[in-house]
Amino acid sequence: MGVARYTVKRTLQAIAVVYVVATVVFVAVRSVPGDPARLVLGGNADPDALAAVRQELGLNQPIYVQYYRWMSDLLRGDLGESIYTGEPVLARIIAAAEPTLSIALVGITVALLIAVPAGIIGATRRNQWEDYVGTTIAFLSISMPAFWFGIVLILLVANNVTAIPSYGYTPLAEGVVPWFTNIILPSIAVGLPYAGIITRMTRSSMLDVLNQEYMQTARAKGIPPRLALLKHGLQNALMPVVTVAGILFALLLGGIVAVEIVFGIQGFGRLLIRSIERQDFPIVQGSVILVSVIFVFMNLAVDLIYMNINPKIRYGGEN
Amino acid sequence: MGAEYSRDESWFGIQSRALARFRETVSGDIKAKLGVSIVAGFVLAAIFAPELAPHDPMVQNFAIMQSPGANAHPFGTDSFGRDMLSRIMFGARISLGVSLGAVSIAALIGIPLGLGAGYFGGWVDDLLMRFVDITWAFPWLLVAIMLVAIFGQGVWNVIAAIAFAYIDDFARIVRGEVLSISEQEYVLAAKNIGVGDVNIMFKEVLPNAVGPIIVQFTVLIARAILAESTLSFLGVGVKPTTPTWGALLGQGRGLISQAWWISIIPGILIVITVLGINLFGDALRDSFDVRQGGDTL
Repeated sequence: MGVARYTVKRTLQAIAVVYVVATVVFVAVRSVPGDPARLVLGGNADPDALAAVRQELGLNQPIYVQYYRWMSDLLRGDLGESIYTGEPVLARIIAAAEPTLSIALVGITVALLIAVPAGIIGATRRNQWEDYVGTTIAFLSISMPAFWFGIVLILLVANNVTAIPSYGYTPLAEGVVPWFTNIILPSIAVGLPYAGIITRMTRSSMLDVLNQEYMQTARAKGIPPRLALLKHGLQNALMPVVTVAGILFALLLGGIVAVEIVFGIQGFGRLLIRSIERQDFPIVQGSVILVSVIFVFMNLAVDLIYMNINPKIRYGGEN
Repeated sequence: MGAEYSRDESWFGIQSRALARFRETVSGDIKAKLGVSIVAGFVLAAIFAPELAPHDPMVQNFAIMQSPGANAHPFGTDSFGRDMLSRIMFGARISLGVSLGAVSIAALIGIPLGLGAGYFGGWVDDLLMRFVDITWAFPWLLVAIMLVAIFGQGVWNVIAAIAFAYIDDFARIVRGEVLSISEQEYVLAAKNIGVGDVNIMFKEVLPNAVGPIIVQFTVLIARAILAESTLSFLGVGVKPTTPTWGALLGQGRGLISQAWWISIIPGILIVITVLGINLFGDALRDSFDVRQGGDTL
């Protein structure tokens, strides 16, 4: 199968997956025991209000009409309106995204800055004390709930260092320094498990790479070991890291929601938890769909990039 | 694993080999010893919580609210004066039980999917694996939140959300193993002499994937404990009155400066438990020589 055909096939599959996800969410919302309108308004809403909500949500129309409306709205990027504030769901989510994305990006950066050197050191100094220290820390970090590590950081760092607050968020537009001091602890909390995984992966793929012929050739040619390691080694060792970006993204998201709560940051996580407390169902369902779309297409991108770096990998369909 | 089992070997032969290898792992590896001891300790504490717990985990005592560790209450008391040690012991039952239940359900669904996909190939493979892709495209945390939004809090919602998230892990691993062994001579021979597909799948192919499945099971139990603690902490897990490790930790969140032990001690216990399971899983991985890209840990 050619690269172009593979690309088209994988893209179509990704679209199909997103379509099914949206359908499942549609069915889930309508299989709520009782009445979605009651879910919206709570247990003891009066009948007039219920009827109004039913009208507004189109619940009194035939199911196929509702389904058609749901899908065509989605295609136009319309995820519905918040029941609580009436704002469009998509706008509400985007408004809450800045702190969350900031934590994610700084968290990943922190993780890579720690993990890649740690993984290389672990591989080159295998079974020496540096390797053992690195491995122990990596194991500890993946065995820790991110939000709990956040609490520990508040207790140890924020409560003792006045420059670093334990609470809240400052938008980037209001200054880099306050922005950074606000998100550095949450980012470390979120990035730590991530760092543990990447350290272990970098270490093991680096060990493989070190034994490859081209590394021996590079050494035989007289290229300084450090340069050979960085130039040839690292490039290949990071490939497996790229392939699990999707898994890591899911992990990161799970971590961020709880870490935002710990640090009192009004981001996507806080929005989600608030929406549940207020029974603001459109926001929850919109978030499920939006995150799935990001997730699926991010993995598609990773797949296609990976295929271009390494044409040896087997394309689907020839098992 | 792979080709080393002949087709004459029964399930029992393979199981006893797996068991022998398990014993070997535990006796030979310091990581495994440490891991198994930790896990065994927590499992026993959970099972015998009613007998071992020094106090009733639900009894409130407002005279000793938020008191730090002392002889009568080694882990201190919470904001209702309840004994933290007892609550943690009872919490272990739910945290460990939910994880075990969720991962078992994921295995029961994921393993047959991977087996069918890898064995039949072609359109069956495509169909089953696209289904797996879909389960995987749902972010587990949001699935849990959605379930809670629809059905309310409860142990089964938590189990369902976590199980749903792990189906793909089992399906992909089993499929990969099946692909690597279904062209083996003994499998082809079995096909030739007319052994049924289901028989071949469960008796010839599946036993060879036992090693990777066990390793995956262990890794996922560790992840499930963390997932459960996150959900309970967020208040989208089990009912807030039920003591689970995540919920205990969550109750202490606002009290860090007055009573740090309420959130720090359950957290330390979560870390020790998950660490034990991860160490054990890593030792198993070494002894089964399981290698795969996705989960180096």
